Amino acid sequence: MSLSVALTKGRLEKETVAMLEACGYGTERLKNKGRALVFPDTKKDIRYFLVKANDCITYVEHGVADIGVVGKDTLMEGGKDYYEMLDLKIGRCRFIVAGLANANPLEKSGHIRIGSKYPNVALDYFHSKGRDIEVIKIDGSVELAPVLGLTDGIVDIMETGATLKENGLVVYDTAAELSARVIVNKASFKMKRDEIMAFINDLERMVEHAEEN
Amino acid sequence: MTQIQIPSGMRDLTNEACCAKEDLRKRITEVYKSYGYRPVETPLIEFYSTYQNTFTSLKEETLYKFVDESGQLLVLRTDMTLPIARLVAGKYSLDEIPLRFCYCSNVYKVRQNFAGKRNEVTDCGIELIGLDDASDLEVLCCALDVMAQLGVDHYTLEIGSSAFFRKACAQSGLSDAEIAMLADYIDRKEIPALKACVDTMNLDEKKALFFKKLPLCGGKDALSLAKDLCFSESLSEEIENLIVLKNTLEELGYEDHVTFDLGKVPHLDYYTGIIFEGYVTGIGTSVLSGGRYDALLSKLGRDLPAIGFGVKLDYLLESAEAKQEKVRKLYYPRAKAAEAMKKARELRKDGAVEMIPWEADTMEVIG
Repeated sequence: MSLSVALTKGRLEKETVAMLEACGYGTERLKNKGRALVFPDTKKDIRYFLVKANDCITYVEHGVADIGVVGKDTLMEGGKDYYEMLDLKIGRCRFIVAGLANANPLEKSGHIRIGSKYPNVALDYFHSKGRDIEVIKIDGSVELAPVLGLTDGIVDIMETGATLKENGLVVYDTAAELSARVIVNKASFKMKRDEIMAFINDLERMVEHAEEN
Repeated sequence: MTQIQIPSGMRDLTNEACCAKEDLRKRITEVYKSYGYRPVETPLIEFYSTYQNTFTSLKEETLYKFVDESGQLLVLRTDMTLPIARLVAGKYSLDEIPLRFCYCSNVYKVRQNFAGKRNEVTDCGIELIGLDDASDLEVLCCALDVMAQLGVDHYTLEIGSSAFFRKACAQSGLSDAEIAMLADYIDRKEIPALKACVDTMNLDEKKALFFKKLPLCGGKDALSLAKDLCFSESLSEEIENLIVLKNTLEELGYEDHVTFDLGKVPHLDYYTGIIFEGYVTGIGTSVLSGGRYDALLSKLGRDLPAIGFGVKLDYLLESAEAKQEKVRKLYYPRAKAAEAMKKARELRKDGAVEMIPWEADTMEVIG
């Protein structure tokens, strides 16, 4: 049976496609996209489509996509009605807790306000540390919130840390290590188990191969 | 402003969908009746405390709650198993067991907004109360016979065992918190996190491998894979029992529609024995689910083993085809209403007739 695979656009896209190519999949169309939205594999019975991270979960949960490749950051913030079967170990970054110098939000007593694009992640993290916080949802340039005095700190994704540094913010803790994951629709896994396992095993070999080198 | 919207997660059923659903309900209920199940109905509303006292890990945010005139907290029922267990404990305490009940009722859960999810679904199922796991086979056959009635080409009933996982945990000396965490990772096949989690637990190599591999103990070789992972006599025995079950189902002709997955461990506070889910091609979620819950009724004061399952009718509507009944139209002059009614009465002996008054002097049947 044919497989539908939802890939996350943007940061993860290039690395994911490179991995698929290394596995011997026909990714030509994915590399020369034009205006198309759906890209058939030129060697196997697979069709790919490129979507935003949040939508990747939605498509997989409904079974419109059998498989999705999406960042752990999005999975931690969203729903959980899928199987999370493989860590591709690409697109690595971290969820960090940061604040102004000498103002660790974890050491503040009283009311703590945290700015984040990921309110659930922020709440879960502080809750695990035994702290009750107020989260303010910020959609872009989260670093601004503590700089302007709106919040005591932020929970955000960090790749290199350059933006934080430039704005005078200090990283106080890592809330989670992040990377791209392969998620699978539950019903698809029952009905197309062999095809899905073959896809996952191919990628898993690539992950192991990359780790050895 | 006019109010034409409905609350989040709700659906109106148009006529075609309604007919398809009714047709599906009839076919499924016929199977239940043929196995000796008799229908019951319970109220849509239950006391919040009924749910709170029964489920240790009740997900508060998924309940529709409201308050009655005396200040008691009420909920819309989230399932039919608990209401029927309550009914058995309170109203059937003098009756001879086993009890066999079937139902077809709406159940409610608050789910994620704007994600295309249903908060109201019709659950059509059975509960068999008072028989131990010797009756598992009979209930599985009933589930398979129901799936054969769904009008789909490909369907699979996947069977797991809650007891197998529980035993392995008990024999590994894990705490309740550790068991809950493992069950969650295994059931969601969250393999990267599961591996990391098992590595932090002080388990010997064989046990660690058991838990790491459990989520992939599925497919055609599920039981032989699981057999290789067993680290004790009693675990192997559980698998032997499942092999017997598998062989019996094959002997009965169900082999094309049965698979096993030992990594299926949902709702540990509820299921005690076999667990099963039914899947059909083209629908992204299970359409049938059930299992053995031998500990539930004792929480309501009646210690009886039980097993049951339900089919979520609404998920199947997209693939179901409605057979529309033909309705003839009888046009009649306004002055001849009584005469027209007599004619319609005659016509209705061979099928439906709708009546429409018109300005002409004659009566006419169309369609």
